[in-house]
Amino acid sequence: MEASTARTHTSSRTRSERKLAWMLCAPAVIAMLAVTAYPIGYAIVLSLQKLDLRFPEQTEFVGLSNYGTVLSSELWWTDVFNTLFIMVISVAIELVLGMVIALVMHRAIFGRAVVRTSVLIPYGIITVVAAFAWQFAFASDSGFVNNLIGSEMDWFGGRFSSFAVIIMAEVWKTTPFMALLLLAGLVTIDGGLYEAAKVDGASAWQRFTRITLPLMKPAILVALLFRTLDAFRVFDSIFIMTRGALDTESVSILGFNQLINRLNLGLGSAVSVLIFISVFLIAFVFVKGFGARVEEGRPGG
Amino acid sequence: MSRGSRDYVLWSIGIVLVLIFALVPILWLISISLKPPSQITDQRFIPASVSFDNYKSLFEGGIDNSPFLKPLINSIVIALITTVVAITLASFTAYAIARLEFPGKRLILAGALAIAMFPPISTVGPLFDMWRALGIYDTYLGLIIPYLTFSLPLAIYVLVAFFREIPWDLEQAAQVDGATPFQAFRKVILPLAAPGVFTAAILVFIFAWNDFVFAISLTSSDASRTVPAALAFFTGESTFTAPTGSIAAAAVVVTIPIIVFVLIFQRRIVAGLTAGAVKG
Amino acid sequence: MGHGSREVNKRTATKALACLAFAALATVGLAACGGSGSGPPQLTFFVAIQPGGTIEETAARCTKEANGRYTIKPELLPNDASQAREQLVRRLGAKDPSIDVIGLDVILTGEFANAGWIEPWQGKRKQEATEEVFPSVIETASFEHKLYAAPFNTNTQLLWYRKDLVPKPPATWNQMIEKAEGLKEAGTIQVQAERYEGFMVWANALIDSAGTEILSGPESVDLEQKPTEEALAVMGKLANSSAAAPNLSTSNEDSARLAFEAGESAFMTNYTFAYASASAEAPDIAKNMGAAPFPRVNSNPSKPPLGGFNLAVSSYSDHKDMAFEAAACLAGEKSQLTAVELDGLPPSRSDLYEGKVVKKAYPGFAGLVKESIEAAGPRPTTPAYQDVSSALQRTLHPPEKIDPEDTEGIYDELKSNLEAAVKREGLL
Repeated sequence: MEASTARTHTSSRTRSERKLAWMLCAPAVIAMLAVTAYPIGYAIVLSLQKLDLRFPEQTEFVGLSNYGTVLSSELWWTDVFNTLFIMVISVAIELVLGMVIALVMHRAIFGRAVVRTSVLIPYGIITVVAAFAWQFAFASDSGFVNNLIGSEMDWFGGRFSSFAVIIMAEVWKTTPFMALLLLAGLVTIDGGLYEAAKVDGASAWQRFTRITLPLMKPAILVALLFRTLDAFRVFDSIFIMTRGALDTESVSILGFNQLINRLNLGLGSAVSVLIFISVFLIAFVFVKGFGARVEEGRPGG
Repeated sequence: MSRGSRDYVLWSIGIVLVLIFALVPILWLISISLKPPSQITDQRFIPASVSFDNYKSLFEGGIDNSPFLKPLINSIVIALITTVVAITLASFTAYAIARLEFPGKRLILAGALAIAMFPPISTVGPLFDMWRALGIYDTYLGLIIPYLTFSLPLAIYVLVAFFREIPWDLEQAAQVDGATPFQAFRKVILPLAAPGVFTAAILVFIFAWNDFVFAISLTSSDASRTVPAALAFFTGESTFTAPTGSIAAAAVVVTIPIIVFVLIFQRRIVAGLTAGAVKG
Repeated sequence: MGHGSREVNKRTATKALACLAFAALATVGLAACGGSGSGPPQLTFFVAIQPGGTIEETAARCTKEANGRYTIKPELLPNDASQAREQLVRRLGAKDPSIDVIGLDVILTGEFANAGWIEPWQGKRKQEATEEVFPSVIETASFEHKLYAAPFNTNTQLLWYRKDLVPKPPATWNQMIEKAEGLKEAGTIQVQAERYEGFMVWANALIDSAGTEILSGPESVDLEQKPTEEALAVMGKLANSSAAAPNLSTSNEDSARLAFEAGESAFMTNYTFAYASASAEAPDIAKNMGAAPFPRVNSNPSKPPLGGFNLAVSSYSDHKDMAFEAAACLAGEKSQLTAVELDGLPPSRSDLYEGKVVKKAYPGFAGLVKESIEAAGPRPTTPAYQDVSSALQRTLHPPEKIDPEDTEGIYDELKSNLEAAVKREGLL
């Protein structure tokens, strides 16, 4: 008798726990699904059709042929390369720089509020304006950079020099995002651990690699995950600075051109779905490969 | 003691470098905004002469005719409401995911991630149709809802990551020590949750503040147009003249609420440590 | 884990949900402030705002002339042409009935007409709208021999040059390049060659001036080989010579006029606003600013670029008859005079160029503007315009890649890319 009562008690407890959990999650889930279920579903359906908004009467179902067109196009693969190039370099720089800045923000001996607030301003500036400020700064005859370094170089006249400015703008804009998440992670580390390590004779570098980094792993992974996903969809900086000229176009600009400029909803939706799949692959690599175990069960107890 | 002063010098240099990194482009924007039109291209970092015309032009005409004032108010209200609602919803969800066992936990996280990954540009068309059908096109709600949708994933992930690190047993320990459940929650758990919550709040606010894609597509008048979208309507002296100065001035003004918001919240991010409950 | 904490959370949860509901209601309340008025119908006029106030004034005057039958309300479109197009396309694609009159960029006529988004002007309306209007401008408002918009303002480019440095303006592009190379100071030429529509404007003008056309019909590419290669050679020659502006591949109308006003260039091809801008921003330069016709490419007469706006009536408007009437007033003679007076926009009616208002806006070069418009080469009219423009930009930008001595390769590439574009094939 006792055993079965115990089991019933457990399952009713689990049931009420589940009910509570679902109640807590419901508002967020509804908010997310209600808005995206139709648009995302619609985009997928569109991608299977030949649909040009200017010639609506010629719409027809073509299955995967739009995907074939995109994947066999040299332009798509060039843009994928461009996007990955920008993404890998900017995220790498941002991680290192972000860690440095987080440490400075954490240990600032004076002017903490000023430092922390200043660091977040780049992230808070309207993206299109920031891109424009960078473009203007590097404009070969009206910006201050050429004046400063005594050059007349047309930064936006070459592919890789354009990449350089684009990456600089991206890094400047989103390193604070990294730094903020890393700071919040830093702050939760118990100072006592460092004291104990110092007593044991650990050097600053050892304290960093053996205490700080491991304890910050969740924060680092969330930061990297979201930053990488975002970086793959880079649009504003490139659009403002070069409009994708000189082979600096990213996959998002490609999608935009098909959807908006050419009103080719079929091709444009296919590009969007492919972007989604690519981003999904990256997230998959992260979650499986680097063990971004954000979703695991309750911690001890 | 020499080690202490060496540390001091090193960190001070670090601070200065960080400040330079963060602020040079902002100072450049400020410099552009203060230059009179004839000097915009003079390549100087510091303006040769200072003029506040760009700022004046932002506000002239009062709330009805200024191209900037009403959008600024729209931006502030929409971003604030989005932040409050998003953090509330995300906290509930993250709490459930971090502390409770239930099926579908991974599905929610994966689904949230999927939503965050989808290119916004292709959702805009259908959203436009939906909103017009529902009558919330060009309204605050019409922007708040997509902002919620696309900021919830990040907020949820951040909060889950932080809630997972909180030693929830401390709550029980405090109750054993005689605190009521509510006191335990308030004095022990909340300060530990604060860094995550305020971090998530800053991220959501900035997302809503900066968005351009939805703002330009789901609004058509000052009723709900936010500042990033309003910038597209700024004019220079002629249709071919870029309104460089006024855009720079608008960007500077619009950064001030961000500074205020961040200033308030960045203190809260580290408040957890000082509450004293973390030791042991 | 105690019951207590879960109860606490339930209470907090309920409280928070209540706050959430309140916030939602509050925003709906805030949002629902929309006046539902009775009274005369309000016609919306979607147009990019002009800094000098043209739109407000013409809308107010035409509302008055309606004598209470309707009112006209301007709605802003973004100033950037492609963003403005995006807004219009999204709404017309959704059959939005809240658009009545549209200020349509000349390059949009073919696309919008073919999609059935704008109404044709016929009979008496057509006659009145095209009275005294330049034939080239009428062409920009037509598609398949039907008029789809009332011409309002047009625009064209002149060759602006420094009279103090170059007493006699060059007649051809090659002469201009040589002259610029020979100058000791300000030895550069300003054009618009960023990868945007302005680049297409320049390329189209060169190709038309050389004696051929980009398209011979809405779906057929022309591009006769010899003249096209001559035009391409001019582009390549300029881009690779010392006469090219250092920022050539990111230059636009604004950067061009800024450089000219800063005294960096002795030559500039730009729209009519350039003189008014220089007079206001750089009077010393404006003193020495001369205007000449758009240079020739070869022995054919040059065909300057043609821009401007025409006013169309949306096919989804609920008040089409009134919209036609409003559009006719908004595009009519009085409105055109307002536009040139307040914003310096060239009128589409040729008879206005003899009058005082136009002569005052273009001191000393009003006649030149008129001639330029008469000789102008409009950009191709086709529903696939965006594709054609994108394909051309992609092929020819940056212009430095064109080898002036060997233009056959790039000619073939251009021709085949445009042929695919006109059929809307492939990824662009």
